[in-house]
Amino acid sequence: MKLKSINTYLILLIGLMAASCDFDNFEEPKSTLSGRVVYNGEPLGLRSNGVQLELWQHGYDLFQKIPVYVDQDGSFSAVLFDGDYKMTLLRGNGPWMDQTDSIDVQVRGNQIVDVEVQPYYVLSNTSVNRNGDNLSVTFTVDGVNADRGLEHASVYMGRTMLTDAVRNDGIFNVPADQIELGTPVTIEVPIPGNLSARSEIFVRIGAKTVGIPELVYTQVESITL
Amino acid sequence: MKFFKRYILGLTLLSMLSTSCDSDYLELEPPNILLDDQVWNDTKLITGVLSNYYDRLPAHTSLTTGWADFAAYDEAMWSGYSGNDGLNNIFSYNFGRWSLWDYGLIRDINLAIDKLNTVSELSEDQKTQFLSELRFIRAYVYFEHVKRMGGVPLITEELIYDFSGDPSYLQYPRNTEAEVYDFVISEMEAIMPTLGNNGSQTRANRFTALAVVSRAALYAGSLAKYNSEMGSPIQLPGGEVGIDPSRAEGYYTKSLNASKTILEEGGYGLYNANPDLGENFYEAIITKNGNPEVIWAQDYLLSADKRHGFTYDNVARSAREDNLGSSAITPGLGLVEDFQYLDGSSGELKTHTEDGSDYIYYDEVDDIFENKDARLYGTVIYPGASFRGQEIFMQAGVMVWNGNSYDRIESDGLATEYEDGGVLVAAGGPHRSIQEVSNTGFYLRKYVDNAVGASTRGIRSEVWWVRFRLGEIYLNAAEAAFELGMPEAVDYINVLRERAGFGPNSLSSLTMEDIMQERRVELAFEDHVVWDYKRWRVAHEKWDGNTSNPESMIYSLYPYRVVRPGDPRDGKFVFVRSVAPRFRAPRFFQLGNYYSFIGQDIIDANPKIVRNPFH
Repeated sequence: MKLKSINTYLILLIGLMAASCDFDNFEEPKSTLSGRVVYNGEPLGLRSNGVQLELWQHGYDLFQKIPVYVDQDGSFSAVLFDGDYKMTLLRGNGPWMDQTDSIDVQVRGNQIVDVEVQPYYVLSNTSVNRNGDNLSVTFTVDGVNADRGLEHASVYMGRTMLTDAVRNDGIFNVPADQIELGTPVTIEVPIPGNLSARSEIFVRIGAKTVGIPELVYTQVESITL
Repeated sequence: MKFFKRYILGLTLLSMLSTSCDSDYLELEPPNILLDDQVWNDTKLITGVLSNYYDRLPAHTSLTTGWADFAAYDEAMWSGYSGNDGLNNIFSYNFGRWSLWDYGLIRDINLAIDKLNTVSELSEDQKTQFLSELRFIRAYVYFEHVKRMGGVPLITEELIYDFSGDPSYLQYPRNTEAEVYDFVISEMEAIMPTLGNNGSQTRANRFTALAVVSRAALYAGSLAKYNSEMGSPIQLPGGEVGIDPSRAEGYYTKSLNASKTILEEGGYGLYNANPDLGENFYEAIITKNGNPEVIWAQDYLLSADKRHGFTYDNVARSAREDNLGSSAITPGLGLVEDFQYLDGSSGELKTHTEDGSDYIYYDEVDDIFENKDARLYGTVIYPGASFRGQEIFMQAGVMVWNGNSYDRIESDGLATEYEDGGVLVAAGGPHRSIQEVSNTGFYLRKYVDNAVGASTRGIRSEVWWVRFRLGEIYLNAAEAAFELGMPEAVDYINVLRERAGFGPNSLSSLTMEDIMQERRVELAFEDHVVWDYKRWRVAHEKWDGNTSNPESMIYSLYPYRVVRPGDPRDGKFVFVRSVAPRFRAPRFFQLGNYYSFIGQDIIDANPKIVRNPFH
């Protein structure tokens, strides 16, 4: 009889130990917040890992931001707990106007939010064609909020999909005085020597606003050589 | 039972009697804790407190604090233990990289000032001197803060919480950047007459305070000037970062006057004890005995067991005395080429003939470095230079002529022999992949101790860390005078160039590029490059994260021996430059790096703190 009771206790103890793992741990977040950074419904081209949105959640002891990095095609996603969040645009971070209002985001299960921004400049009507040893590039820079000057526009060429002002294998710079806002600009860009032997290169055009570190880009285009 | 009770009664009485004789029983002085009135009435103990504060002064890169970060910018790369290769692979500088919020130290200093004022019964003179020294340390700590964070709250008294549940009266907003610089300068000016410590190179004296003014006012002046020259200045509406451009001239004048006073009255002089100019420049920094150049240093002492392992970690591979460590920080080719030739021409090394068709063949491996600025020898160990009286020979492999072109042959080991019996790879490298051997073809000399045993773990080094020396004061004077449009600016620089082997008056006029270049070669590895680039607002252009920008990359220069039997070029040396093989990611400094990140925990505790731009 005595032996039996010890056994019972032992089993209980083991059961408790096994169960306690579950009790100790938090549940992992399950809901997904995803979306795009858009202007007039069109996603903006950005530098991957360059632009950040912030999520804040009030009502808890530790008030820490949740950084959300935006992909180069303007999309983002974050895995979160259900709850009410405030999304803010980091001041001076993206190629758009500062916005002091935050966006209320309610996460209940999977949620899709498009963040509408007011960029300084956007690029439109782009076309890139091969023309012998050159690329013939046409684009239009439109000033949306042109109170901050345009610094330059550049053609970025690279070997991979991830091509931008930081990661590239060739840059062709067009100074701002050669660009008239709203008018198409056509330029001949020599293909850099280290890329000319490849069968395919990736091309992007970026426009730089004075004093804003990040550029607004076109989406990446692949060109067969 | 009865007996027992009586016994207890007796015992109680006895114990009461025995304790009651000692009426101060509850007021005994602790044998192991020093009390306030003991500390603040004893000059030796106060000096102990001061030395603790001196030792805690923040630095970004020094011989003991964060020294590995010497390899995180464009002066050098990491060639040591491969687990630290992250320094060659910094994708972008973290916004919190230079963060500093050391209000613990500031509180300690404020407390000490308070105690000296209230508890101390020392003579007024002594008290004032200690108070001045404490205020010097506090102002210097604020300078370290402002150059990293922009304006920070200026707290100059002890803050005490009253447990009322409302801490808001303790929450101070950030002062403006200009106010903090003004505070640093005015504190230094206020304490100068009472600081004492004349002649000391480790404790602050009047000229140390002037040196801090010389540097801080120069920083403030260039921040005011160059920030406003940016396309879009970095500033906050409350002035927490950003200084009005109209103040630049005032700051430059303050800096120039401070530098002039040191040069005219300080009694310091450039170190010129060694006729060998290269060795002389090296000794100017590490010599501790009778060095007239050093104004303020953090000292180390073997006999007090205060030593550091900087030499153990950075000594050239073939000169090391221990079986591990060595070669961690290796200067890059970019820095080496910034040292000009003595005829004043650009320092670019000549590896190929002018039309680029063939190598230039050198008889000796160090011939290519001939007639260079002597500071190159004093800063860097290049192939064939000597260290501790021993030649540091370097050879990366051989170039074998196959009839049409050269086959480059290297080895996967060090100190290997080629089939013709000559050296294949030298014992000192350079090597593409082995750890703890130079990856760039250069080793560090500045601050590496040439004393016997200094590169062993048992002995280690007692070379001091120079915080201020006269060389910098000359450069500060030159820059301030240049910004004020004074023609004598060039004379200050020529003094330094003359010591480095250039003729008298080697520069006849001065440009900003000259000043940048001189600061770079004179002050390499002395914790200047980051702060200089920041205050000139050029860091984001120099380090733009682009592989095609040579200033963001670390290049190497590898010497090869030519194997071409029967030809006059056989046995000569050729040089190949390339991106250093272990170097992976270009340096990338973003606009948000100009002012460091203020932690969210700080803002949570004090909502009056505003965040820095781009964060």
